[in-house]
Amino acid sequence: MAGLNATASSWPQRLAVLWLGLVVLAALLAAALPLPYPPGMPDLGHVGQSPFGPAGYAAGRHWLGTELQGRDVLSVLIFGARTAVLLTLPAAVLAALVGALAGGAAGFWGNSLRLAAPYWLVVVGASWWALGLPVPIAGAALALVALSVGLVAGWRKLPLLTWPVPLNAVVMGTAATLDTIPRLVLVVALAAGTGMSAGGLLGLLALTAWPHPARLVRAQMLRVRALPFVEAARAAGVPAGQIWLRHALPHALQPLRTALPLSIAGLLGLESTLSFLGIGLAPDVASWGRLLATVRDQPGTWWAFIPPFICLSLSILSLNTLGQRRGNTA
Amino acid sequence: MRTGLAVWALASAVFLLSRHDLDTAVRLQLPDAVDLAAARSGPAAQRATQLAVQQRLGLDLPLFYASRDSGPRGHAGQWRWHGSRNQYHRWMADLLRGNLGTSFRTGTPIAASLGHALAYTLPLTGTAALLAVVGALVLAQRLAARPWWQRPVRLALVGLHALPLFVVALGLLLIFANPEVLAWFPAYGLDQPADGELGVWSRLAVYAQHLVLPVAALALTALPELTLQLDAALAHELRTGYATTARAKGLAETAVVRHHALRNALLPIIAQIAELLPTLVAGAVVVEAVFALPGMGRLLAEAAATRDYPLLVGGVLLTGAARLLALLLADLLYLWADPRIRWQA
Repeated sequence: MAGLNATASSWPQRLAVLWLGLVVLAALLAAALPLPYPPGMPDLGHVGQSPFGPAGYAAGRHWLGTELQGRDVLSVLIFGARTAVLLTLPAAVLAALVGALAGGAAGFWGNSLRLAAPYWLVVVGASWWALGLPVPIAGAALALVALSVGLVAGWRKLPLLTWPVPLNAVVMGTAATLDTIPRLVLVVALAAGTGMSAGGLLGLLALTAWPHPARLVRAQMLRVRALPFVEAARAAGVPAGQIWLRHALPHALQPLRTALPLSIAGLLGLESTLSFLGIGLAPDVASWGRLLATVRDQPGTWWAFIPPFICLSLSILSLNTLGQRRGNTA
Repeated sequence: MRTGLAVWALASAVFLLSRHDLDTAVRLQLPDAVDLAAARSGPAAQRATQLAVQQRLGLDLPLFYASRDSGPRGHAGQWRWHGSRNQYHRWMADLLRGNLGTSFRTGTPIAASLGHALAYTLPLTGTAALLAVVGALVLAQRLAARPWWQRPVRLALVGLHALPLFVVALGLLLIFANPEVLAWFPAYGLDQPADGELGVWSRLAVYAQHLVLPVAALALTALPELTLQLDAALAHELRTGYATTARAKGLAETAVVRHHALRNALLPIIAQIAELLPTLVAGAVVVEAVFALPGMGRLLAEAAATRDYPLLVGGVLLTGAARLLALLLADLLYLWADPRIRWQA
């Protein structure tokens, strides 16, 4: 039944993959495509021209018309796709990576990871030295002495005083803190303070997106950690770190296959909303959201509204379909 | 309790981070005339005006309890303890006394401008939330009866769910407030002073006319998720044993849905409602930008654009308060919906 369903309903999924492939292809080839006008250069002779007008596709100048400031709609669309792909894809992957590591560690060890006292002293001494508190040499010396004590004790297998690391509490607390405020408000507030470069925006998007994958991976890890093969690995004497990385983590990453397309869809919506509001990217970067924003000033220019509208909604819809189908069949 | 802690941590983080970029903020505060005069009278006078602006805004104090001097030759110098004479301490002390500070840009108290903006935003988000919840309840109950229009409506909901809010708002604006298509509603201009001789009712009518499209946009984007979730929960509940029993008693399907299944299906939705209020505050940022309403969201967006940090921090605090309120509301709703929770408490 499930197999029948999967084959019968795979055509929306195929369409979604086709469309997303088209978008990514356009994004990658944006610089090589034979566009009559670059996106940043306004054609001031033909401002707000309809595609059916004298400078439209009939004349072969602006195939989809121009918007209010004379930019070519087609090239803004294609370079906007590049902005969207280059911004949301790395941000989503980065967020998934950070979320997987943090959530996986929090789920595997919980609050019970114990660290021997000398290593705590190493951390304290090193941060003392790095922060440049009074007499930094003392911090470095403390770290070195503690490190050697720890190594010697580990070598001789001496019992040491240990304190637990509240790993789970720290990760979940940070995630809860980031989740209290809606993403849009948080990004708006932080984007004002930290500058507006593309890299900074990417980092900001990843920062606000990682709690969700972290929660998913942590929940899955709580289940995986109790499975027999993890216990068997532990009984065979494999170190905990290796069990975590080699045995448990690959299984705990399952939910991300569904969550990644949805996360990209959310980030795409967020990115276009931000550029619609004029926050984040520089004004000369081509973006679908910014193209949509020009329509507010001139409600008659439907040709600047419909194409980005179709691109944006089709992309988000395809990503959603992809996430759902994977979720049903997996 | 934990949420309160999280809000405090976030507001502090925004406060401290915002101080990284103060030079721009100070430069934006310099009046143009002073700028021109300063340019003529040389860099020393310019520096003096900058210092004066910093002093007026309270930015001449050190930022945190301890800081590092910038030592000679670019080396980081020694740590210095500043005691309670620092910006963060003053901000916290003022906050505990209920004083949110004053705006960099206009010099008005933050609480006053936020309150003024909330007078527009609260009716907007409140109506939208109410409409979305009621609409989801009605629609999901109808969908549970499996009418013929179930498939197209569900498809439309999924499609609507995929659209970002600003696209929906723009679409509504282009269709219903466009002189070339349908000019039913005014596009913007609520903040313009109305004619003096208008009565209370006509002023209220103008106000309502301006709010129709924004409320519709907010409610339409909040509706699909609620409806789809409630629909799934109802479908699950209708397959359970007690629903079959109710049907076997001879109850009509609508009665089974309304009196038996609905309350159980509501439980997962209540968590969604707790999410709804903060989400609508964020949605107000977009909707107020599209329809040019003088509310909270536009205030926040403008504060971000002009680096008006006290206003931004105030907005973050207010949004956090909205989240706290929503959580409280959700807890009360849980108490009402599930007697087991009442007995435990």
